[in-house]
Formats: sequence, C-alpha cells, structure tokens
Amino acid sequence: MNKIVRNLFIFILIIAFLIAFSSSYLSLSMDNLAYVLVIGIDKGTDNNLEVSFQFSTTSKSTESGSTEKTPTVMDTVTAPSLSTAINLMDGYMGKELNLSHCKVIIFSEELAQEGISEEIYTLINDTQIRPSSNIVISKCNAKFYMEQTSPELENLISKYYEIFTNSSKYTGLKPNATIGDFFNAIICKTCEPVAILGGISTEKPENQGNNHIQENYNVKSNQTPIEGENGSENIGVATFKDDKLVGELCALETTTYLALRNRLDRFLVSIPDPDDVNSYVDIYLYPDGNTNVQVDTSTNSPYIQVKSKFTGRIYSMSNNSQYLDPEILKELSETCNKYLESVFSDYLYKTSKEFKSDINGFGRYALGNFFTTQDFDEYNWCNNYQNAFFEVKVDTSIKSSMLLTET
Amino acid sequence: MTKSKIGTMEAIMLVLTIIITHTISALPREILVSTKSATIINLIFVSILAILFSYLIVRLMKNFVGCDLIDISEYLGGKVFKNIVGIIFIAYFLFSSSILLRNFCESIKIIYYPMTNIIFIIAFFVLAVCSANRLDFNASLKTNLLIVPLVLASILFLFFANMNNFTPQRAFPIFGDGLFHTFVLGLGNLASFGGICFLYFLPPYLKEPEKLKKIALVSIVLSAIYLMLCVATLLFMFSFFINTNEITPLYNATRYIEFGSFFQRLESIFLLIWILAYACYLSITSKFAMNIFKKLTHIETKKPLIDIFGLLIFGIALLPKNYAISDQFETEIYPYLVLGITFCLGFSVLILASLMKKKSKKLSANTEHL
Repeated sequence: MNKIVRNLFIFILIIAFLIAFSSSYLSLSMDNLAYVLVIGIDKGTDNNLEVSFQFSTTSKSTESGSTEKTPTVMDTVTAPSLSTAINLMDGYMGKELNLSHCKVIIFSEELAQEGISEEIYTLINDTQIRPSSNIVISKCNAKFYMEQTSPELENLISKYYEIFTNSSKYTGLKPNATIGDFFNAIICKTCEPVAILGGISTEKPENQGNNHIQENYNVKSNQTPIEGENGSENIGVATFKDDKLVGELCALETTTYLALRNRLDRFLVSIPDPDDVNSYVDIYLYPDGNTNVQVDTSTNSPYIQVKSKFTGRIYSMSNNSQYLDPEILKELSETCNKYLESVFSDYLYKTSKEFKSDINGFGRYALGNFFTTQDFDEYNWCNNYQNAFFEVKVDTSIKSSMLLTET
Repeated sequence: MTKSKIGTMEAIMLVLTIIITHTISALPREILVSTKSATIINLIFVSILAILFSYLIVRLMKNFVGCDLIDISEYLGGKVFKNIVGIIFIAYFLFSSSILLRNFCESIKIIYYPMTNIIFIIAFFVLAVCSANRLDFNASLKTNLLIVPLVLASILFLFFANMNNFTPQRAFPIFGDGLFHTFVLGLGNLASFGGICFLYFLPPYLKEPEKLKKIALVSIVLSAIYLMLCVATLLFMFSFFINTNEITPLYNATRYIEFGSFFQRLESIFLLIWILAYACYLSITSKFAMNIFKKLTHIETKKPLIDIFGLLIFGIALLPKNYAISDQFETEIYPYLVLGITFCLGFSVLILASLMKKKSKKLSANTEHL
C-alpha cells in the first residue's frame, strides 16, 4: 500500500512539473517566436519613438538547390517607449518578439542628440539582448538605413550583421561598438561611450575630383566616394558625452581612436613621400605593444602623454622604389612619426576641446594618481578633460616593403 | 561507521561550497559596493584575518578531540545551552540556505523560466535535496567533490576568457572610499567566509581528525583565491556594479565570453554547473542541520527528518513576498548572521570552553598535588 501511495505521489509530481515547466518551454518554442535581427529607433511625433524591427524569415531553396537571397520583413510601430513598441509588435505579429539574435541596434542621429540612455537601460535590462549587439548611429533615418541595407556578398542579412564589424581590426574605419561597452561607458566616470557611425551614401564628398590621397581618409558615413549596392555604409565613430551624441570622427580619426585604444591589428596610412612632396607612400602599420599613456593631474588641466610604437611595411610601390636602403627606411620612419604625431595630436585636441568627451578612456590612467574615490570625484575628470594638454610621441620602425624591395 | 566518515578533500570542498554559492548570488556585488576599487586590498586583508581565525578555531578545537561545537557547548553550559546553540545553528543553516535558494531561483526564473511559477522551481531543488539526503551522508559530499572543482574551473575559465575585456586600472584609487572604509567597515566582508562554520561541526565526521588544520587552512586559502577571482572579474570588467544593482553578477560576465562566431552563449553551461553546485550546497547544509537536530533530540535515525527539513526549506524560501525582501535578507541580514553566529557565538563558545577546561585541569592538578 505504501509503495502504491509513493508511486502515485511521484506520478502526480512528474505531471505537475511537466505542466509547470511546459508553459515556459511553449513560450520559447520557435513557432511562437519572431526573431528580431535589427532594431531601428527614430524620433517620432509627439515625443513618441518610431521603432522598426527587422525579422528573419526562412530561406527559400530553388529547384537547382542554390539558395536565394533571403528576404527580410520589416515592421514599424510608433509608441511612447521601446518596451511599449515591443509589446505592440508582439500583438501585431501574433508572436513574441525574441531579441536574443538581435545583432544591431540603430538610433537615428536626431534621437541620439537628445539622449538614448532610457533605451539603452531598457535593452540592457532585457535578458535576451546580447551585450555584443552593435550600436549604430545613423546619419539618416534609422528605418531608411535598415531598408537600404542590402549586403552584396551575403544571402543572409543576419550573417552580414554578425561579421560587418570584423574589418575594424585591419582597416580601422569603424569601431566594434557594442551595447555592453556603451552601457559600461555611460555609467563609467573615466570614459565616454561611442557608437558606429552609419549612413546611406546619398551625397558625394565635397572634395570629389581632387586627387589628394589624404582626402580619402577624411570621409565618413554618408560622404564616402564608394559606389555599390550595399546601400548602407559604416565608416566613422559617433562620439557621445554621457548619453548624448556630440560629434563624429572621420575615417582617419577613427583609425587613430582605435589605435590609441589598442583595438587594431594593423592599419594603412598614407604618409607624404620624403623625396617627393606631391606623392604619398602607403604603409601598413602594426602596433608594437599597447599604447603607453601617462596622466598628470597635479593641476585642473590634465597633462596627458601618449606614446605609441609601430612597425611598418611599405605597401605602395612605384618605379624607382629603393626600399632596401636603410637611410630611406629611416627617413620614411621619421616622416611617419611626424605625420602620426600630428594626426594623433589633432584628434586628441578635437576630443578634448570640441567634444569635451574622453572617449579614449584616459580617465582610467588618472585613477592611479588618487588615493580615494572621493579625491577622484572631486577632481571631476569628465569636466576637466576639456582642459587637457597632450604630448604625443610615435616611434615607428619601418622594416621593409613586402614582396618587392627594389624596382 | 567508517563509511560515513569524511575524507580530507571532501572536507575542503565542503567548506568551499558555501562561498561558491554565495558568489554566484549577490556576494561579489556586495563586496564591490562596500569597498569599491579597494576591493582587492580589502579581500587580501580579510582573507588573512579569516586564515588567522580558522587557525585559532583549529587550535581551540584541539582541546576537544572528536567533539563538535554542540558537544563543546554542552561541556560549557550544560544541556540547555547545548540546545540553544544547536537551535541557533539549525535556524542559521535553514534560513541562509532557503533564502539563498529563493534568490537563485528568482534568477533562474528571470533568465530561463519566465512563465513558470517560482514554487515549482524551488520545489525542483527541494525534491533533489530530499532524494540526495536519503542516500548515505557521504553521497552528497562525494558529488560535491566532483562539482566544486568544476565550479572552480568554470570561474578560472570565466576570468581568463574575459581578460581581453579587463581594465585593470579599475583597481585604483587604491584605497577606494578611504582607509576607514577599506580596513574598518570593510571588516564586514569577513562574512564572505561563512564556510568556516562547518569547521565547528567537522571533527566527529573526519576520517583523519588530525588533518583539521590542513583542511581549515587549505579551504580558506582556496576560498580567498576563488573570491578574488570572482570579484576581480567583475571589478575589471564593469564599471556599473558599483552603482547599479544586477542579479547574479557573474552570469552577466559569462555573457561576454565569445570565441569567434562559433563559440558563443556559453552562459547556459555555467548556469548548469551552478545549479548542480546549489543542489549540493542545499543537501549539505540540510544534512548538517539534521545531524545537529539528531544530536539534540537523540533520535536514532534522521530519515523521518528528511522530508520535514525539505519542507522547511521550501516554506522558508517562499516566505519573502518578492525578490526585494529576499535580496535584502541576503545582502543586509545574512552577513550579520555569519559574523554573529560563526565568528562571535561559535568562537566565544570555543574560547570559554577552552578556558573552562584549562581551569578544571589546573584544579585537578592542584588537588592531585595536595
């Protein structure tokens, strides 16, 4: 009798647990979920947000077996907040929106200028959002940016968004700015957040027609000389002060930003040819260890010393190139040092005087100068950064060219 | 009898269980909030104190070979005092483990089972504990011997896998909120070493009681290293734990681990390991609570107690109306319970009993001399 009662008890327990846990499993069933790939947030009317969601759909296979480009679905809802927008879209789609595969969150420039902390906090509070989701600030409407994005080399848009920041390691033209880092920087007292600068190539750069090679490094999203079918382009950095957009960095400044933050494997620079003022030499630079930063906080104007080391390989070749001559390599190294010191310095003063925003996170190097948190708080680093002075030293050692050494 | 004795390694892992479960919950966040950037220094300071404390406990317990704190309190204050001390420790084990279970279940509910009533999630653990407690005393300890190294390895992995996200400069300003906060108010972080309380009850169960000193020292050193790894991971990775409250902070750190686009979302593995660690912890604490109860009441078998203690854990875990209350218990009340019960009550009993023994020895020596 005892055994029967025990078995019955176990049976009832199993049934109860099955029922209790099945509701959670059912809600997470693929049939009940709509997977969001991209969220675009624009400023709507009457203080509302215009939130666009891009969803993945199942891919169609042709009879020959080849896979066609997968169409995506995009819907937009106007709501007072992001959470309300998600809820409304749940109802509209008849499925629960799942953000666990959301790769990119796009904010329009207009909204970012007013502050996006509320949206960032809401998204971070969501268990489904990955901290590795990228943040893009679109020069145009976020919805338009999403509509125009059509990767040329990928059938799946999710695949494109998964890898589109990979090139930042070797081009230095865009940062891998994630929501995790953005949230961390909003709260941090020693740094400020950044995002990827996105846009649609609608206008050609003003200097088009000018063959000055350096101008190609001054471009940013919306103004690139690229013609293609990708639609959107992501070159540059959107810089923030707290949660508000305060400025943009062009391609060369973005490379500088990434180099100073030790987030580059290599990058290409064009330095003036020491032998011919009208021509340029393209050099691949490889960071030689981390950037050395020292911050002096003895006055209210922080004095920041930046030392970077690079090794280089000459990439561009022409007739009469003599890259086996140590003197020429030394001369090139010195020219490169001067050029980079000027670029780095201009960039640093721009962040300090123009943006008043320590996007480089130099504040963390200042922490060691204080004994207590109160001392550091009293110093008011974020405010004093605008008074900062910089000394940049670059030590480049150009080793050789690549396959060709002399022509 | 020897079958139910605890080996040295099992005992070390047993002491580590407490710190492990608390670090998975809110402990690292609370340490960070209290000592900010001085957390590493504070932990080194507190760990040295904990090692000294455990050494003293071992020294004092040498006077009572094969006895646990209950026997010692009987020696000190008779049966009434023994019952009081026993009941306090039973209540401490039950309350702390139940509320910790509630907090962990709240996290699991938020992360994985949003539609499931928390009663069922808690019941799942309680059932596992009741089943485990029906087995031999050593069964849970041997499982624990497997799980705890796994948790330690997972934390090591978490630390090294996240190293590229570290900002070591966050360990500055070196003294955080100041010397007073770091070294005086920061003494409260001694509560992290709540596992020390097991040292009071281990001697009768040890295969080799003479190794109590080794057990105490190794387990506290390992606890200190483990705690430092957990806290350093959070301190170097995030700036927000000092200002923002987040449930299961270590879980948040696991979400950042990515190796290319192939190895992602490893947090589920971490959570699985932690669930096993929690089940082991609950089983061990309830077993110790039952053993104390058995000792107080002189009942022959603890079998009838298993379900009652299981139900008690279940009931206490359901007491808090919401997460705010259970979190308050864990962050504001639990540390004082550890300091009060483990560090003050237990230690005072040991000191007084040792003095009493010395006195009686002296008296007997004097009478012999006369």
